[in-house]
Amino acid sequence: MRASVFIRTAAALACAAAVGIAGAASPGAAAPDFTVADATGKPVKLSEYRGKFVVLEWTNPDCPFVRKHYSSKNMQDLQKEWGAKDVVWLSVNSTVQGHYEYRDGKQMQEWMTSQGAAQKAILIDAKSEVGNAYAAKTTPHMFVISPEGKVLYNGAIDDKRSSNPADAKTANNYVRAALTEAKAGKPVTVASTTPYGCSVKY
Amino acid sequence: MPTLNFVLRPSILAALAFSLALGAQAAPVRTPNVEAELVSAATSAAPGAPATVALRLKMREGWHTYWQNPGDSGLPTTIEWKLPAGVTAGPIQWPAPNALPAGPLVNYGYEGEVYLPTTLTVAPGVKAGRDLAVAARAEWLVCKETCIPEGADLNLALPVKPGAQPHPKWGAPLAATLASLPKPLAKWTVEARGDGQQVQLALTPPDGAADPGVLRFFPFQEGRIEASSPQTVSRDGAAYVLALPVAYQLAPGFTRVAGVISAAGGIGDAKAATIDVPLAGAVVAGPKPVDAKAPTLVITSSAPGASMTLLLALVLAFVGGAVLNLMPCVLPVLSIKVLGFAEHHDSPSTMRREGLAYGAGVLATFVGLALALIAFRTAGEQLGWGFQLQSPLFVSLLALLFFVMGLNLSGVFEFGNVAPSSVRGWTSRNRTLDAFGTGVLAVVVASPCTAPFMGAALGFALAQPASETVAVFLALGVGMALPYVLLAWFPAWRRALPRPGAWMVRFKQLLAFPLYATVAWLAWVLGTQIDVDAVLRLAIALIAVALALWSWHAWRLGGRRGWQVVALAALVGAVLVARPLASPPPADASPAKASASATGPWRAYTPDGLATLAASGPVFVDFTAAWCVTCQVNKRLVLNDPAVLEALAAKKVTLVRADWTRRDPDITRALAALGRNGVPVYALYRPGREPLLLPEVLTARTVADALATL
Repeated sequence: MRASVFIRTAAALACAAAVGIAGAASPGAAAPDFTVADATGKPVKLSEYRGKFVVLEWTNPDCPFVRKHYSSKNMQDLQKEWGAKDVVWLSVNSTVQGHYEYRDGKQMQEWMTSQGAAQKAILIDAKSEVGNAYAAKTTPHMFVISPEGKVLYNGAIDDKRSSNPADAKTANNYVRAALTEAKAGKPVTVASTTPYGCSVKY
Repeated sequence: MPTLNFVLRPSILAALAFSLALGAQAAPVRTPNVEAELVSAATSAAPGAPATVALRLKMREGWHTYWQNPGDSGLPTTIEWKLPAGVTAGPIQWPAPNALPAGPLVNYGYEGEVYLPTTLTVAPGVKAGRDLAVAARAEWLVCKETCIPEGADLNLALPVKPGAQPHPKWGAPLAATLASLPKPLAKWTVEARGDGQQVQLALTPPDGAADPGVLRFFPFQEGRIEASSPQTVSRDGAAYVLALPVAYQLAPGFTRVAGVISAAGGIGDAKAATIDVPLAGAVVAGPKPVDAKAPTLVITSSAPGASMTLLLALVLAFVGGAVLNLMPCVLPVLSIKVLGFAEHHDSPSTMRREGLAYGAGVLATFVGLALALIAFRTAGEQLGWGFQLQSPLFVSLLALLFFVMGLNLSGVFEFGNVAPSSVRGWTSRNRTLDAFGTGVLAVVVASPCTAPFMGAALGFALAQPASETVAVFLALGVGMALPYVLLAWFPAWRRALPRPGAWMVRFKQLLAFPLYATVAWLAWVLGTQIDVDAVLRLAIALIAVALALWSWHAWRLGGRRGWQVVALAALVGAVLVARPLASPPPADASPAKASASATGPWRAYTPDGLATLAASGPVFVDFTAAWCVTCQVNKRLVLNDPAVLEALAAKKVTLVRADWTRRDPDITRALAALGRNGVPVYALYRPGREPLLLPEVLTARTVADALATL
């Protein structure tokens, strides 16, 4: 156990140094940049999407709150709706490798395919570095990032804090609201909310 | 007649009679992880009177449900009442929550069994003589690592009749729950002041109030106080001041501080109370909380050392510094220096200048250490006293330093002959600088030793603002430097020192042996940090250095020029052999390490493990490090003593060893939670009570005394 904590520490330090994660994740602040492998093993670098809006969605198929938004098709609809409007949607799984809920790239890809998900990429944050850099607390936990690389929204997916799939359609979706306002060049009215869901499995 | 036969079975009859007598009937609903039911405090309800009912949740071992503010993740339990006409339900009266760690995150909720009471109001017009059909849809999220949303439709038949009695089964536990519900904190003065990223919550007890013990604040609302960041307690006069970290995602409208204060030792007349006070001053969003690298240990958030004042810390640091002179790491170095007094017959002014230079060297090094620690900790590193020794490179260099000093004392070489003449001239001209250097050296060699009194002072120092940290380190330095400076200052005092003579040469040579012993011990430290190969590398490097010094010395004494080549070659060889020590493999590469902390009855430390163990029974934790001399002495003399181990086993104490030989942020945090910042620390965790800290110098007696408190 201790050895594994040490490995994680060493690995996290080494990777943080190599990747150069910096900055904070509060609205208005620069979104911490990162490079992390997607489900196919290809490295994805956040700053390469400068010039486009980016959505970060913290996810974990073993979390009932995540399943709520997928079984109701709420998440897939959002991914398709905004993907069509040139928004880069990145789903991040920060479950640490070694946790029994950890899924590798292939397993994540399979699950997302079975759900009909339509994100740009599934990021396998096996060392929790990205989750750590953004202080992601729950699954789901949503971030909207501006084309200039600033955090526009940080928080819950919507205002109905439940695990009931029926609530997803009737709730006020904060991500849709933030993207709609930001795309229209308006400031984001609700830029920070408390996320709800399962804890990220660090 | 099977039917009659069935009815007449005595056990069934008894059960039937019992349930008729109980009144207020319900049946528990069992989900995979929870047993849920509606229970009533009384056997019946009366028209026009309030009635207390509760949702009873009994969670599977290790699983939890949530408070009204779930903390970093989770969802509060909800109850949707379906009540007959004339009956209304109030809100859930939440019992005080517990802080439940989930990796680096913290949730607020309940483990085991919890009663969530609600007051039903029965209208005066409700007819007596029949049962009220009280129904509710209860929903909860139950989590261990995995979360599962569950719910149940629950029913309770509550008879309406006068003369209600406490329910024979649920009356007592519900009465206990109601009595322990947090109520507004009376008599205490509570003030909250925003101070940037912190809220200072000052709780002033009334005269004669008992010590509240470990305090923790649970905010009613999210987006106020960061759940996973530690809350620290300090004393300001009579007041307990809780420093609460403002939420990273601060929600707007933070104008009042409202929530539950829980106190291990009791506050008001319960274990928890509610507060709701205006927030003066201003707050800004707090620092980023999640640190996946270092799960927080939430056994105690208030430090036993928190009641220490700056003045006390300064005094302890001063005494600790003075005692440091007598510790085995420093004594030989200082002896050599003090012998110098006997040898030299300099003018008093020269001696005084040297004394002061030595003191300045000590103080400068301590200030440097303090600043380095502050800088590292500001950068988010988890370090503590002795952190230098957590680096294998530093340990190797220290071994080299002690070894070279030892060779010098043994007479293998003399500094004067080895150093080029230009440097020699310079050092003899700069005796002041030389004395300053000795001061620096004394602090460097002192780092493996923590003297008594030092631990508490340093633990306090590192939790304080930078200026106070530096002040405590300065006090430590003054304590350490003072004896020598005084000897230098007052020539008369030196008469107590032995007269110089031929014995001094032998004594000098004798002093080499403690230094060699130190080298042997440092080699062992290196072995526990890396592996046994590292010890061999160090040994070969040291031998090569010895050869280099000896042959160089031979050349300086008029030997052939070849000796110079030998010396240089040996030096190069030493560097080559020792090079891998500077960048050791990660800890897992050393199988010796994991087993080093988990030997015999001792388990290796993990934060989760400790939290679990400490919840179920007493746990004794040995916070130790291979490089900590005091730790090793205590281990050999006390902790390995069969009688002590037997006494611990008799009290069913779980033994845990937290090995800080290498950097370990988890252990640093656990030490900080105890108000300490260095090893040794011996802590006895007792369920439901504050951990008990034992003295740094352990005896079988102190362990027995500690066990007697169980």
